[in-house]
Amino acid sequence: MDRLGRYALLLALALAIWGLIAAVVGLRRQRPLTVDSARTTAFGLLAAVAAANGAMLAALLSDDFALRYVAQNSSRATPTFFKVLALWAADDGSLLLWNLVLAGYLAAIAFRFRRYRPETLPVALAVMYAVAVFYLLLVSGPSEPFATLAVAPPDGRGPTPLLQNHPLMAVHPPFLYLGFVGLTVPFAFAIAGLVGDGLSDRWVALIRRWTLAVWCFLTVGLLLGALWSYAVLGWGGYWAWDPVENAALLPWLVATAFLHSVMLQERRGMLKVWNLCLAVGAFALATFGTFLTRGNVLLSVHTFATSAVGPMYLGFLVLVLAGGFGLIAARAWRLRAPGRIDAVLSREASFVGNNLLLLTVTFVVLLGTVFPLAVEATSGRQVTVGGPYFRRTTVPPLLLLLFLLGVGPLLPWRGGSAERLTRRLRLPLGAGAALVLALAVGGLRDPAAVAAFGLAAFVGVANLAEVGAGVRAAMRPGGRSGPPAALGALLRGRRRYGGLLVHVGLALAAVAITASSTLARQSDLTLSRGTAAGFAGYTLRYEGMRTLRQPQRTVLVTDLGVAKDGRDLGRMTPSLNLYPSASEPIGTPSIRTGPLRDLYASVVGVEQDGERATFRFFLNPGVAWLWVGGGVMVLGGLLAVWPTRRHRAPPRPPVGPVRRREPAAVGRG
Amino acid sequence: MTLRPARAWVRRPAAGLAVLLLVALGAVAAVAARGPAPAATPTDRVQAIASGLRCPTCRDLSVADSPAPLARQMRNQIAEGLQAGKSPEAIRREFVAAYGESVLLVPPRRGVGLVAWVAPALLLAGGLLAAVLVVRRWRARGAAAAGGPSATPRTSRADRALLQRALARFEEDGP
Amino acid sequence: MTGSARAMPAAAGTAADQRRPRRVPLLLATVAAVVALAAWLLSVGLQRDPTAIRSPLLGRPAPDFALRTLDGDRVVRLGDLQGQVVVVNFWASWCAECRVEHPALNAAWSRFRDAGVVFVGVDFQDDRRGALAYLAETGTSWPVVADPGSRTALAYGVYGIPETFFIGPDGRVTAKQVGPVTYDQLVREITRLLPGRSG
Repeated sequence: MDRLGRYALLLALALAIWGLIAAVVGLRRQRPLTVDSARTTAFGLLAAVAAANGAMLAALLSDDFALRYVAQNSSRATPTFFKVLALWAADDGSLLLWNLVLAGYLAAIAFRFRRYRPETLPVALAVMYAVAVFYLLLVSGPSEPFATLAVAPPDGRGPTPLLQNHPLMAVHPPFLYLGFVGLTVPFAFAIAGLVGDGLSDRWVALIRRWTLAVWCFLTVGLLLGALWSYAVLGWGGYWAWDPVENAALLPWLVATAFLHSVMLQERRGMLKVWNLCLAVGAFALATFGTFLTRGNVLLSVHTFATSAVGPMYLGFLVLVLAGGFGLIAARAWRLRAPGRIDAVLSREASFVGNNLLLLTVTFVVLLGTVFPLAVEATSGRQVTVGGPYFRRTTVPPLLLLLFLLGVGPLLPWRGGSAERLTRRLRLPLGAGAALVLALAVGGLRDPAAVAAFGLAAFVGVANLAEVGAGVRAAMRPGGRSGPPAALGALLRGRRRYGGLLVHVGLALAAVAITASSTLARQSDLTLSRGTAAGFAGYTLRYEGMRTLRQPQRTVLVTDLGVAKDGRDLGRMTPSLNLYPSASEPIGTPSIRTGPLRDLYASVVGVEQDGERATFRFFLNPGVAWLWVGGGVMVLGGLLAVWPTRRHRAPPRPPVGPVRRREPAAVGRG
Repeated sequence: MTLRPARAWVRRPAAGLAVLLLVALGAVAAVAARGPAPAATPTDRVQAIASGLRCPTCRDLSVADSPAPLARQMRNQIAEGLQAGKSPEAIRREFVAAYGESVLLVPPRRGVGLVAWVAPALLLAGGLLAAVLVVRRWRARGAAAAGGPSATPRTSRADRALLQRALARFEEDGP
Repeated sequence: MTGSARAMPAAAGTAADQRRPRRVPLLLATVAAVVALAAWLLSVGLQRDPTAIRSPLLGRPAPDFALRTLDGDRVVRLGDLQGQVVVVNFWASWCAECRVEHPALNAAWSRFRDAGVVFVGVDFQDDRRGALAYLAETGTSWPVVADPGSRTALAYGVYGIPETFFIGPDGRVTAKQVGPVTYDQLVREITRLLPGRSG
């Protein structure tokens, strides 16, 4: 099995190198057949990498402990579900997954452009193959997933306990990877646009929807990470401002900025150089993120074991930064078109604000993340930059951004009359002001929270009203009415309504984040069996502990009876999981989710065989809306990305010249 | 534009908006002026200090959030210190004497840590300034390209209304 | 399509050809400088262990403690040990790495106890029965004390046992080891502190 995997990886590396060479040579010597060979190689690459992943999966499922990775990350007692997940539980295996996703994107690009071949395709392919070569070199070199042990142990160590505790492990890394790796696509096409002869800036139109899809994946990945932190780690929160968490947030912020600024380029031909910088920056930040995760640079709950891949990652990151921004510095000046807008109160201006605020947050988070390292490198002092810092520094720009989220969609392109704007602002502003007033009178003490709630209401109402007004106006011509017609109108304008829906989802998430950050309550209570205590209006009674023995762990389950105002509300069962390989138990919290608040219980310690137990209780208001809001954001993104029917290009000879003018339809796609 | 019954505040929508905005801002300012809630119970005061300290064993979390036993014992020590009358600053100093500056969850505001606190404010101010300058420059170029406002021929009211209706339909139908 | 970044054909229609010479080298230099800075910073980061916290106690007087031994028969007070070399070792019976370093501690103890060096073991977040069993099992003969509430551990800045502190006759902490201590380390640090030895 290990030989199959190793050879598959070597084959993949060879194919990637061939693809890179073929793309470059075909371009320079103007040989379209060579370029097409580079394109179709992507399918072979995908097959090879898939075979390698399949080999690892087979080894895991068959308990092939001769493989070092299987011995370290799986065991006979591990349930099959988690054996599959062990593929990405640790550094080496997750690099296999990374390569698979990258090969998948290459194949998707190859497939997408099988008939229509833009001039930027060869260089874009070359860049993607170069990235693939790097990651394949990583798995063929320092990170050896298929390394074997001299003597196969009878049983494996099993996955890290924290990573086999919850099925969310199944989806959090894959979605994050789909997002991170996907940023290679806009990067590749940006480089292609820079290097090409015509300095084509139509790369933006080509990959806009790809970038939107990648954004959706990143959003899902981040949400799942937050959900995992909340439901699995048991500390009661969903975001710890961990360096690796921050590093996953940074590309998302830049990608969001990019999705907005490309609209300025599409419509007004502006910000061409800026968009190039954003595309390179997003990919560089994604690479930086994986560097932090694997290079053991900053301490994090995510850091994999120390490995030799760190220096290679650093080299690659330097190459990406120097190459990408160097190319921009050297060549982008020829693309520059002077920016021009018609009015200050216009959508264009709001996008400028959007980009600058998002980039401000990005730089602040980046600064905070690397600050400890910078201080230690220069002065030797050790400082920490944790949650309170990030909260205090990102809230002001985020509040301003929230304001733009409401005003921006109301501003028309090229500006409009002030009366129309004020008319549209009336309802949202009224809603926001009413909420702010109510909260102030109701006794809320945190001004930032009050402002955030008000702005969220403003944003939600503004965007929903826009969706409503647009759908109603679109329905009018046909004279039909009712949900099917509304749905039809919604789908017809889905690019715009998808975006508005994302804003609504973000407003919901903002409400959830503000509520849970400022209004949460917690308490540590030690209870003897049979006794009860009060917390936040609930009566919690510790009924006892039972022990569950499972093949891979022992679970101590505590039973808590929950009552409120005398009414029995059921049971909560926080537990402690004892794994043989871990010196400390891993807690699993028990959560009662409600529309207004979550009651959250985790057991911190048990004494005297369960006679006494120490619990930590949280009342987290609004957390459910974080998942709902996130879901709405993703739905909005999916709605916006759904392809419109593309005009079929006229039939062409099978292989045409590399130079080709893009059909006009692409601008809408 | 459809005609509406001429209510007073409809005729001056901007004034209505200004009122709403003032109400909202005033409410937020009032909340800010009222100040944060005083730490009610001793537990709150412990949490306030603990949430500024980093748990030495589970490194991502504050001492307030961490379920680790060491964090619990640190909270107990904070509680004892508060009961003994020590100031929060003195308690923090004790932990810094044992664990070093990195036990503080945020960089101290003196010395090199000041950079971490000043930079975000500068970045935000710089970003806003850049946004304003960029928009103004673009607006100026846009006006210049259009030949200046004085060059625009005056359109009739009816024409403008027609234009507004067409624009409205264009926007509502989507891009 | 030339494909090369350096060969610049006279592209028709782009308006800004003339500006190229002045600005581009400066931009390139800026990019190079920023990338070099980032590379240096991250390479420094790669070389250090992010889990290591430097102890602020080095060179400072060791925090005093007065703790009762596990079997309860006497109280060990650091102040009483002024003038002697003291090795304070934080451990627990549930800590696997403490078992790893125990033979080294035992060997050093046998070697130096007659020279007046005092070893003090401080039990960290442990239960008394388990700790006593561990001591019996390993045959620990130096005084081992209990640390209720981990106050002493907190005063010493303990975050990951085993941790060993070396205290000189003047009462100052001269060295700290996080993780299992080796015999050579023990010998080296103790002999440095013994009076009459020149360094």
